[in-house]
Amino acid sequence: MKNRILIVDDSFYMRTMLKNMLTDAGYDVVGEAANGQQARDLASETKPDLITLDVILPDNTGLEVLKDIRQELPNVKIVMCSAVGQEVIVNEALESGASAYIVKPFSEDKVLEIVGGALQDSGASA
Amino acid sequence: MKSREQEYRELFMAEALEAYDAMSQHMSVLEKRPGDEGALNEVFRLLHNLKANARAMGHDAIGEVAHRMETIFGQIRSKERPFAGSMVPVLFSGIDVLGGMIRAVGANQELTENLPLIENLDRVIEGEEPVLLDDDESGSEEDATRKLELSDLVYIPIKKLDHLLNLVGELIIDRDRVLTLAQEIGDTTLQTVTAHLSRLADDLQYSVMDARLVGVGTLFNKFPRVVRDVATAEQKQVELTISGQDIQIDRNILQIITDSLLHLVRNAIGHGLETPEERVKAGKPEIGQLVLSAQTDRDNVLIRISDDGRGVDVERVRRKAVDRGLLTREAAARLNETEVHNLLFEAGFSTAEQVTEISGRGVGLDVVKLAIDSLGGQLRVDSKLGQGTTFTLVLPTSIAVKGALLFELDGHPYALPLMHTDSVVSLAPEKLHVVGGTLLAKVLTENIPVVRLADLLADNDDALLPANRAALTGAQDIIITNYNGRKLGLIVDRFLRQQDIVIKPVSQPLDMIDLFGGVTLLGSGQVCLVLDVPAITRLFLSRRP
Repeated sequence: MKNRILIVDDSFYMRTMLKNMLTDAGYDVVGEAANGQQARDLASETKPDLITLDVILPDNTGLEVLKDIRQELPNVKIVMCSAVGQEVIVNEALESGASAYIVKPFSEDKVLEIVGGALQDSGASA
Repeated sequence: MKSREQEYRELFMAEALEAYDAMSQHMSVLEKRPGDEGALNEVFRLLHNLKANARAMGHDAIGEVAHRMETIFGQIRSKERPFAGSMVPVLFSGIDVLGGMIRAVGANQELTENLPLIENLDRVIEGEEPVLLDDDESGSEEDATRKLELSDLVYIPIKKLDHLLNLVGELIIDRDRVLTLAQEIGDTTLQTVTAHLSRLADDLQYSVMDARLVGVGTLFNKFPRVVRDVATAEQKQVELTISGQDIQIDRNILQIITDSLLHLVRNAIGHGLETPEERVKAGKPEIGQLVLSAQTDRDNVLIRISDDGRGVDVERVRRKAVDRGLLTREAAARLNETEVHNLLFEAGFSTAEQVTEISGRGVGLDVVKLAIDSLGGQLRVDSKLGQGTTFTLVLPTSIAVKGALLFELDGHPYALPLMHTDSVVSLAPEKLHVVGGTLLAKVLTENIPVVRLADLLADNDDALLPANRAALTGAQDIIITNYNGRKLGLIVDRFLRQQDIVIKPVSQPLDMIDLFGGVTLLGSGQVCLVLDVPAITRLFLSRRP
């Protein structure tokens, strides 16, 4: 079965690019959220295998969203997305249970490598 | 097909321009309330996005500035330092410079690093005093080599361009007259000079028309905001996709369709798209898609507003049209889907069950239709129940000159705008059939009603006499017109030619007859009436036997 991915980013441009990359690679993008509330709702509704999560979101920091989703879906893999400059938050996110992080701007290869790697871990532990 | 690069570019531009507008607003809030957390968080977030997106697009010059600005706003946000003192003018000029760079990207210009600004931002980050720069010229080279430069752009009031265009219109008419006279006189030198004059006048005409063109993006880019506001008020979730911002169109045409576009977009969100719950029930994604696009099609610009909402319920429109007394139950049942869709544009027709605060402002689609008609354009609707609706505006690129088909009737020349002309055919009388007193011509697969234009224009309001095929002799020249999807064949005496014409409003006495959209002067000096196809179609419908 195709792995199911939820994309969380407040930029439509970024979401579109990620969606294209992931869909082209054969993943099933089950939803796109533009803010923390949508991310929580869509995560509990779609129960994805993996979430790409932007660290800076309009209504909440990505960090709070990460912690909430972690609590509800302990098995979901979360890959943080951030441009350089927010390493502090990214570190904290990794400590709070994020699987990996991608630094924007990203190349398609890098995204697929990191997403694929994170999902493989989940296969092993499941 | 649009390439992915093109799509990314358009998305980037739309979001970047929106971010710039929003940041400018938040900055003015911060000027008054330096501690405003909402504004600080938003500027920080927008800079962060702009940086990431710009770098992904390869616009590193934007990334460099946005990155430093983000760092400073990060410090302010986490209360390490206040939004105050000498950093404020530097931050303001940072926003200005970002705006300039974004516009430069939109205009396909090469971006250059703004070193003085970057150095100042670095100083601010390190807590040092920035070096004061001249207010406006902070963007140019090192101070020593700076020259005084005036902008290459001139702002011109549109009124002046209107005047220029009118003059060109007059000139074109005289040019055609001089050309005809030169032909008649037969002097070769005169003909050479007039041919040259003619080319110059053409060039001038296109230059003036060109000067009036603006990118559709100037209007489209206001819509992300509109959509967000309307979606919030209507409690819908909407994702807007914009494309074709670079398509050029006459500024006045864009002005005239502004309200129509606003109305159609509000309509699409208010009535077209379902609520998230309804969408989920219908097996659709929660977020509704709205697409605003522009493209060129020969001499026209097509603007489309598409939603993936509930679509037009044809049966409901039929019922409503009957309830409103627009037509009988039998007539309504006979209409095909396209004809039913076109009922939406009839005056006073509205299918909205309930008038919502934003989308229902007492304006119907008929008003939109009238605005598009006034430009000589067309408005079409395509819809599939449950799948969505697309409105297409077919607009002329320029208002000055229109392609027209010239024909003769009773020895007088007439013109018919090409925008409303589907095709011209010559048919022998045997190919025409009389059904219910009306002539029908089979063109391709369609049966199209046909009428002798001379009969229709005869000064009489009574119903037309039943058609008499025996009165027609020889092949009939027929122009198939198209208004609002309704086709009508007009029998004329003789086709003349196709020609670009300048349409002038009709003067008083003729003004009472609204069958004519205007007049034009032909090279021969003859006055040529320009038929208004919407009016002719309506007249035919009211007088058909």
